[in-house]
Amino acid sequence: MSAATVAVRDVSRWYGNVVAVNGISFELGPGVTGLLGPNGAGKSTLLHMLSGFLAPSAGEVEVLGESPWRTPGIYRRLGLVPERESVYGLLTGYDFVLLNARLQGLADPHAATRKAIETVELAGAAGRATKGYSKGMKQRVKVAAALVHEPEVLVLDEPFNGTDPRQRLHMTELFRRLGAEGRTLLFSSHILEEVEQLAERVLVIVGGRLAASGDFREIRRLMTDRPHTFTLRTSADRRLAGALVAHKSVLGVELSDGRLVVRTSELGAFARALPLIARDAGVSLHELRPTDESLEGVFSYLVNR
Amino acid sequence: MIGIVFRLTLRQLIGRGRTLMMGLLALLPVLVAVVYRLGSQDTDQAEWAATVLFEGLIVTTLLPLAAVVYGTAVLGSEIEDGTAVYLLAKPVSRARIVAAKLLASWLATTVTVLVSGLAAGAIALAGEPGDGILLGFGVALVLGSLVYSALFVMLSVVTSRALIIGLVYVFLWEGLVNGLFAGTRLLSVRHYTLGVADLFVEAPERVFEAKLGALTALVLMAVVGAATTWYATRRLSRFEVGETT
Repeated sequence: MSAATVAVRDVSRWYGNVVAVNGISFELGPGVTGLLGPNGAGKSTLLHMLSGFLAPSAGEVEVLGESPWRTPGIYRRLGLVPERESVYGLLTGYDFVLLNARLQGLADPHAATRKAIETVELAGAAGRATKGYSKGMKQRVKVAAALVHEPEVLVLDEPFNGTDPRQRLHMTELFRRLGAEGRTLLFSSHILEEVEQLAERVLVIVGGRLAASGDFREIRRLMTDRPHTFTLRTSADRRLAGALVAHKSVLGVELSDGRLVVRTSELGAFARALPLIARDAGVSLHELRPTDESLEGVFSYLVNR
Repeated sequence: MIGIVFRLTLRQLIGRGRTLMMGLLALLPVLVAVVYRLGSQDTDQAEWAATVLFEGLIVTTLLPLAAVVYGTAVLGSEIEDGTAVYLLAKPVSRARIVAAKLLASWLATTVTVLVSGLAAGAIALAGEPGDGILLGFGVALVLGSLVYSALFVMLSVVTSRALIIGLVYVFLWEGLVNGLFAGTRLLSVRHYTLGVADLFVEAPERVFEAKLGALTALVLMAVVGAATTWYATRRLSRFEVGETT
């Protein structure tokens, strides 16, 4: 990784007795990083601290070498796309982005506005009042407003909310391009696929704690290699259970409610062995169903591993 | 930078129903003055204009009501709907943002009460010398608008219940408590406003007399205006998204 543009050192944030973020540390450099976690994990709290809208209760946050808290000057180099949908409804999309350009004190705010609006492909609707915009259009005008001063660091809180698949694809390409230009992008999402498609690096946050961080492939491997549970429907559950329990990839078997439940530690080995074991035991497989594929299940494993 | 935020804020104020409501409310003193002139006019015109119209209706009701509506809206509505982030995530000092918001509230409040007050006063005093009543209350309304605005802009940064607390201040504190204890006048923008008016009103004491001296009123206006603006800036510098107040 090149020099860190964002550094978080042992940061916690609590509200009264509630701990929202608990002892998180990481460093980011240029490129796109996804902040992945279920709703209520502490993603927004962390992003608010990075964008200067929350003070850490403990620890240090640095963006481009400065603490963003009570440092308005940092916003010349930092852009923010907030999660809340609200924009100034009485302004047109163009005027809203122009307002942001003027507040940034840009030398040619109109040129910067036109460029930002073209970047998010909103030129056709730029003359309309934003109160009539769809959710996806509001997301795009918010991104244009955050990009208008071409910041080095861009913090985006759930930027894909409300976007349709075509808009999502376009935004994904845009964020990738911005990352490739040497900007640091950190975006939050609770959807694994969004992060998988876009981020080079991932931070997984659950219950206010950093559950995993690093290259997405490494996180994906951790997720794949975790213990999996399957429910099977077969011609002879009890006989197959006896055969399966002897295999090294199987952690345990259970017969319940007319179903055979199998826990495995090695997904690949189990997938290869199952048909062979069933054939040798003379058992027909009617159904094989994973039982713990919810995102929360995956997150819980990463936290508790 | 102040001009950009100021113009944006005025557009927001004008585009909302509250301005129409305040405009209708501002017509009330004018209608009352017309009814007074059409009626029997048993009382002295100067006395009626000073005590009933200006002190009783405009300074006591219209001025604080307009200021609390505009003052708590200019920044409070943006904090409430989340758009304040677009102002605050900019390299703009918080003092400038507060100054722009305060100017917008001051202008909206002043226009509302001054147009209403001068029109109603002119009707009530037509054919009379006036005794400096229009000048005195005109100046007082301009300064009173500023201090009330500073107070209510500060409240909107400190709490999400600024409108309710502002109304409690105006109608319970200034309306009720001030009448019971003389010392509380020192904490009443209404009495500062009346004190300033007294500086210019040349009518005899039986016509109009403020309970606070003009110098004291001016000093207190300066102190309260500066202190509330300073505190609003300080709180906005420490503003946290999602903080519960």
